[in-house]
Amino acid sequence: MPEGNEFEPKIVAFLCNWCSYAGADLAGISRMHYPPSIRVIRVPCSGRVDPFFILQALQQGADGVLVSGCHPGDCHYLTGNYVARRRFAVLNDLLEFCGIEPGRVTFAWVSASEGERFAQLVKEVTEKVKGLGPNQKLKKELP
Amino acid sequence: MSRSEKLRQRAKELLASKEVAMVIGYCAGSKPGLSQPAFITRPEEAQRLIFDSTCSQNLANYLLKVKNSGKVAVVAKGCDSRSIVVLLQENQIQRENLYILGVGCDGVVQNGAKSVSCLACQYPNPVIYDEMIGDEVEKPAPDPIVAKNDKEFEQLSSAERWQVLSEDISRCIRCYACRQVCPNCYCPVCFVDASMPQLVGRTHNLSDNMAFHIIRALHMAGRCVECGACHRACPMGIDLMRLNRRVARIVRERFDSVAGVDINKPPALTQFNPADPQEFIK
Repeated sequence: MPEGNEFEPKIVAFLCNWCSYAGADLAGISRMHYPPSIRVIRVPCSGRVDPFFILQALQQGADGVLVSGCHPGDCHYLTGNYVARRRFAVLNDLLEFCGIEPGRVTFAWVSASEGERFAQLVKEVTEKVKGLGPNQKLKKELP
Repeated sequence: MSRSEKLRQRAKELLASKEVAMVIGYCAGSKPGLSQPAFITRPEEAQRLIFDSTCSQNLANYLLKVKNSGKVAVVAKGCDSRSIVVLLQENQIQRENLYILGVGCDGVVQNGAKSVSCLACQYPNPVIYDEMIGDEVEKPAPDPIVAKNDKEFEQLSSAERWQVLSEDISRCIRCYACRQVCPNCYCPVCFVDASMPQLVGRTHNLSDNMAFHIIRALHMAGRCVECGACHRACPMGIDLMRLNRRVARIVRERFDSVAGVDINKPPALTQFNPADPQEFIK
């Protein structure tokens, strides 16, 4: 039994329409259990995810962010995830440099057939963010 | 003949022969030891031009503002020429409308001290030019103090880094001087000015400031030539070069790319390599 006041993280998940969203769907229709911590935002491609979306999610109170797209080579738009990968690499390194805990923002490749992997991924991300505690650093205080 | 004299003479010749419509260079500022950009359109005005270590502005910034004035000659140090290369790569200016008067640079001075960005400069000579005014200068040895400070900062724990950075960045008053002086910031609507939807809050609380500075650094990834114009322009003395240097280093180490050095190699974040490292992706 979870205790009443245990910290339940809020995680914003940006899922690519063609792979990861379908993977999440598969996890759902296969009745796999995973923590109810994620709030899914469906995007056309991981290349659509502006680093700004990630920062804004953290600013507005998300404790973690998960960005997931197709495996390299499987992109519906052929190269969207390759371009996104460079952008995420710079963002990931820069966030760490700025002192945001590693693990607050997670990038992953999940294909449409990897329902089990998706459920496992959400479990891992939730555990990691739980370990980090609530997001204090980038969160915008209410005025 | 000194370098400034040579520059004046060439500017005069270029304007008199109508080869260019304007020469963008530097002239003496309002106080001794200061200089300011000069826009010379008549041969007799070329006498005002100077070039010395006080000439700190990045003149590539002005090329976008005069791009409809015909062919323009511009005085370019190493970093100015790299900014010009980035603008050319991004199709913001046309090479045939440009006449680059290259000058070697020994580092610019601000408030009597060499600018932070110049301490680690690896490109004191222009990377492209139509003619050199004076001789090329020797590449200086990188100043150990900058490398030492960077190393010290990186060895701090995650929480300490956040502490140091947030103390610095919480002083930001959101004047956007760093954006205005940046030669490679030219979006017609900047993300901080967008209002439908509003992307980043205009308040100067830490959260918004941090988001602004992180996104600013990301927008410059693979494009920042580390001229230090933003650093010198900041009225609050925020160490903006710390973020810029880091982003340039990430791009250099991960993608083997240096901004504005090779005109045939597009900026790092506009292209990709299927074999890019992806150890951070699950």
